Amino acid sequence: MFDFLDVTTRMTLVPALPLAAALVTALLGRSYLREHSHWPTVVGLALSFVVSLSLLFNIRDLAGQAHAGHEPHAAATAHPASFRQAEAASETKPAVGVEIVHQLWNWATIEGAIDRPERALPATDAAALPAALPFKIDISLRSDPLTAIMLSMVTFIATLIAIYAAGYMHGDPGYWRFFSYIALFVFSMTMLVSVSNFLLLYVFWEAVGVCSYLLIGFWFEKPEAAAAGKKAFLVNRVGDFGFALGLFLIWSTYGTLNYHDADGIAGIFGQARLMNTADPYVGGGLGLAICLLLMLGACGKSAQFPLHVWLPDAMEGPTPVSALIHAATMVTAGVYMVARCTPLFLASQMEPFVYGGTSISAPTVVAVIGGFTALLAGLIGLTQTDLKRVLAYSTVSQLGYMFLGAGAATLAGVTSGMFHLFTHAFFKALLFLGAGSVMHAMGHVIDMRYFSGLRKLMPVTHGTFLIGSLALAGIVPFAGFYSKDAILSAVHARSGEEGVGLVYGVLYVTAIVTAGLTAFYTFRAFFMTFYGEERIPHEAGHHAHESPWPMTLPLVVLAVCAAVVGKWCEVDHWFGHLLEQTPSLAYISQKHLPIDLRGPFGQFDIEIAALSSLVALAGIAVAAFLYLGDRREVDLLSKWLRPFYNASLHKFWWDEIYTVLVVWPTKALAAVSYLVDRVIIDGLVDLCGWIPQKLGGTLRSLQTGLVQFYALAMAMALAVLLLTLIWPGT
Amino acid sequence: MNETTLLLNYLVVGALLFAIGLVGFVTRRNMIIMFLAAEMMLQGVSLSLVAWGRYHGDWGGQMLVIFIITVAACEAAVALAMILMMFQASGKLDITFWQQERESNLPAFVDQELPAEPEEPQHWPTLTPAGREPRFDQEEVIHRTHV
Repeated sequence: MFDFLDVTTRMTLVPALPLAAALVTALLGRSYLREHSHWPTVVGLALSFVVSLSLLFNIRDLAGQAHAGHEPHAAATAHPASFRQAEAASETKPAVGVEIVHQLWNWATIEGAIDRPERALPATDAAALPAALPFKIDISLRSDPLTAIMLSMVTFIATLIAIYAAGYMHGDPGYWRFFSYIALFVFSMTMLVSVSNFLLLYVFWEAVGVCSYLLIGFWFEKPEAAAAGKKAFLVNRVGDFGFALGLFLIWSTYGTLNYHDADGIAGIFGQARLMNTADPYVGGGLGLAICLLLMLGACGKSAQFPLHVWLPDAMEGPTPVSALIHAATMVTAGVYMVARCTPLFLASQMEPFVYGGTSISAPTVVAVIGGFTALLAGLIGLTQTDLKRVLAYSTVSQLGYMFLGAGAATLAGVTSGMFHLFTHAFFKALLFLGAGSVMHAMGHVIDMRYFSGLRKLMPVTHGTFLIGSLALAGIVPFAGFYSKDAILSAVHARSGEEGVGLVYGVLYVTAIVTAGLTAFYTFRAFFMTFYGEERIPHEAGHHAHESPWPMTLPLVVLAVCAAVVGKWCEVDHWFGHLLEQTPSLAYISQKHLPIDLRGPFGQFDIEIAALSSLVALAGIAVAAFLYLGDRREVDLLSKWLRPFYNASLHKFWWDEIYTVLVVWPTKALAAVSYLVDRVIIDGLVDLCGWIPQKLGGTLRSLQTGLVQFYALAMAMALAVLLLTLIWPGT
Repeated sequence: MNETTLLLNYLVVGALLFAIGLVGFVTRRNMIIMFLAAEMMLQGVSLSLVAWGRYHGDWGGQMLVIFIITVAACEAAVALAMILMMFQASGKLDITFWQQERESNLPAFVDQELPAEPEEPQHWPTLTPAGREPRFDQEEVIHRTHV
């Protein structure tokens, strides 16, 4: 498939097609395409998906070769040469993982920008580095298993969402604008996972933020939507600030920002550094600082505590946008970044920062943040009545799971985190699109208290939503079961360790509890929406019927995926084996790293699987008991647990806490600044204007308007001048 | 007559022309007269320059005068055009009409009243008529009253 196109051309095409779609829609949408504005986006994204899939197959072939080779970790590296040369090179040169890097053009070069840091390494053993390293940013695209999987997943989900949006957004005045933004969003996300440089990662990190701002505030006439867009952007700024500081530290520590080896300098995840048996990555306090700053950025994008507050508010955007943000683009960026930076986190783990007898390592912090967020969001999700908000908190919670997996910092942990990201994309997109379908039928009412018993009215939505819920709850054999189980195993595997074992043990229990909560709130939403007596809000009007085919088709496709994708990846663990060949992750299985990090992915532990399934089933059973009947027990329960119920309903008051701690001081500062500007700065400017005005005012009385007066004044002045000139003695 | 005396004579005439022009410019209110007075000042200066040129025996003075004449021609065109436009706008040639262009908070210049005409009819000395009464040309009479 697509063999007539060079692999590097295809790597360029994947982001280029959405960008072209965005530009075409933006330029022609308003005047020419109008109600056909979805075509460029749908076609562009679909082609992009096909190309990414072919890229994935290429990468899988390369990885397969690498796996079958004599050298256990020998692999092909195309760098930045063309694909065929890469195959030739693979036979001679052992490499860590599989990567293809393609340089498009040079963006910026500053020679001698930094004195060579201690950790800067040469790309080859032969040449030593000069004393001053250049700041050189190339626009380079890379392709490795991690990128290829992300690209395929993102473009697949985005294509389905674009088709769905063609039905959902039909008749909206900003139809063309919407599809232009969507295509731009996908372009940013594909670039984010494709670039091979931290600075460019930051650029597209921001681009994703801008697109999410535009899309969350898509209905900007609505004050809530405008505020939600602003909030998402501002909260992300906090994280991005940390991320930027992290980049500065990386730059000053490693002397480069490239992932790959370029210009004779070893990239941060380049072959030279990964193969270096000495101590290529910095640990201790500096390593911890880098990792935590990167993690702050990831917290912002992936809505982890303490920056989780923007995601539920982002529900103000159109539902396809919520699906896109929650499933494919944006929130997965943080997990992707942590997975990509695994070597940095590992370094912190192997050489923790010791402070007053306790040692702190970055992966543990990541895992704790992930676990805490998973539990917190799960608890909040229990009482929300807005269907989309329940799903939003479940996303926050599931992202917490992914970080928990990544925080286990073993090969199994990181792979299972990425696996959960992969499966989660399918069922979360499915659930959001299902919620959108309900919302579409209910005349944009999304509060579950106003409708119920829709299963006869919307049979397709009901069936697909059920599959999505089962997958989210983690019931065999749906997708969520496999990935969640993989994470639980990875975390459990670390609970036996000395030192951090207790932390991971607690996190394991937390994750099990969260699994129960997840099952409960998912099925609570499911039962409240689709079961009970049939009630329809009056806003629905004559809309209350099953959605049109552009909306149900993606639902069915996603439901099939959500049902089989877990089992499919489980068969001979191709997902894990493929992902292992990512340079950053292949590093873990290197000989000189401790053996316990390498633990195999997808080790099926029947005890853990049984326990989590039991907990999930119990959650479903409780939901069925409480919400399938007449719901008297719900009222009783909420009365007994009044303080807890209130806390959950008010999202543990995080918004209020931030209002007091952040918003008010900022507003006070802004008020002071306003006063300073008004009184001091403006006062100075006004004074500069006032002085000449008053000086000039004294001469104003000379302007009599009588021409003869002026002439006389001139003549007299001339006379005075003459007199002075001819005055004797001067 | 030696050169210095010759120069002095011309300078005196030039200075007189300038002074008369200046006084005319400052005292008259008719814009055309003021314009003429300004021209007269230019001529006074020109005459002095020519005289100095003659005195020094070079062409500098004459060159400047030709320059002045050129500029004066342009100035005449602009000035007459402006006077014409101002006359069309106000129907007056009186320059004090345009004193409204003064600073807004200054008092207006008010013309002093002319001394009142004496009440009783004037009796002018008359001569005894001699000879026959001349016959007036009617057309001339009409013109006379207008001049």
